[in-house]
Amino acid sequence: MADKSKVGLEFPTYTITVEKNKIAEFAMAVALKQHKEEINPIYYDDAGAKKAGYHGITVPPTFMTSFAFWTGQGLPEIVNALGINMNKLLHSEEEYEYLGNIYEGDTITRKMKVAEMFERGKRGKVGRFAEVTILETEVTNQRGELVAKVRTTIMEK
Amino acid sequence: MAVNFDDIKIGDAIPLYTSGPITCTHLVRYAGASGDFNPLHHDQSFAKMIGLDNIIAHGMLIMGIAGEAVTAWVENKYLRKLSVRFLGMTEPVNWNDIENTKGRATITVSGIVVKKYEENGEKRIHCSIVAKDALGSRKLDGFFIVALP
Repeated sequence: MADKSKVGLEFPTYTITVEKNKIAEFAMAVALKQHKEEINPIYYDDAGAKKAGYHGITVPPTFMTSFAFWTGQGLPEIVNALGINMNKLLHSEEEYEYLGNIYEGDTITRKMKVAEMFERGKRGKVGRFAEVTILETEVTNQRGELVAKVRTTIMEK
Repeated sequence: MAVNFDDIKIGDAIPLYTSGPITCTHLVRYAGASGDFNPLHHDQSFAKMIGLDNIIAHGMLIMGIAGEAVTAWVENKYLRKLSVRFLGMTEPVNWNDIENTKGRATITVSGIVVKKYEENGEKRIHCSIVAKDALGSRKLDGFFIVALP
């Protein structure tokens, strides 16, 4: 059961460098493609990205999800800290607010906190009741610019 | 073709995006790319143990496909917000029964322009978005905001 005393909890900050091949790999994965030549050049070709008006190779819209898995201990760290049962966990909502672009070579810091915890539905009613946790993450680059805000809603059913 | 603010009308549909059918291999590729190695998305015996018939796609892969749909229409750099609720699970294609499982693994993304407005000195549009499989079952819905020239 989610531990509601954890509202406001701030997780440690984590830093990761955005790697060129990891961007292409992610872009191919969400495009369901096997070769990078089949995806948008802004995700693998520096010259192509610059021609399209970017400072360099940029990242697909949902790429930030990988920061949460490739830094810290990923999801287990979150569920353990919150006292959530991993086998009852559902990812119910995800929201990205883009305040700037992320580029190849950027050093990204993510800072996550527990924004809200509440119950939805009636306890004891199978299927409807859920304990909801909303996590907010601030994503900044090496110049200290806030490039994105992430709002992740998870539920324990 | 570039999308311009003045050419967009409320009620316009965004171009329909259709993914190829999702295979187990796509899920493995997404797991490696994203770092989400929850066995629910690649290990059949684990899926069975927790009461599912089959492994299921990452919800975030479906959101990634929705992101592809949006950025196939409007350039990535114009995106200001992408927000979704996950509604249903997606099972990959079964190679032993492609004809009957292709539809459940094919994702279509559609959307409608809901609002046009100015914010932060930018001309922005707010669009609803929904991803379904080819059988009509809803996978996610939500909205996105783009700033247009």
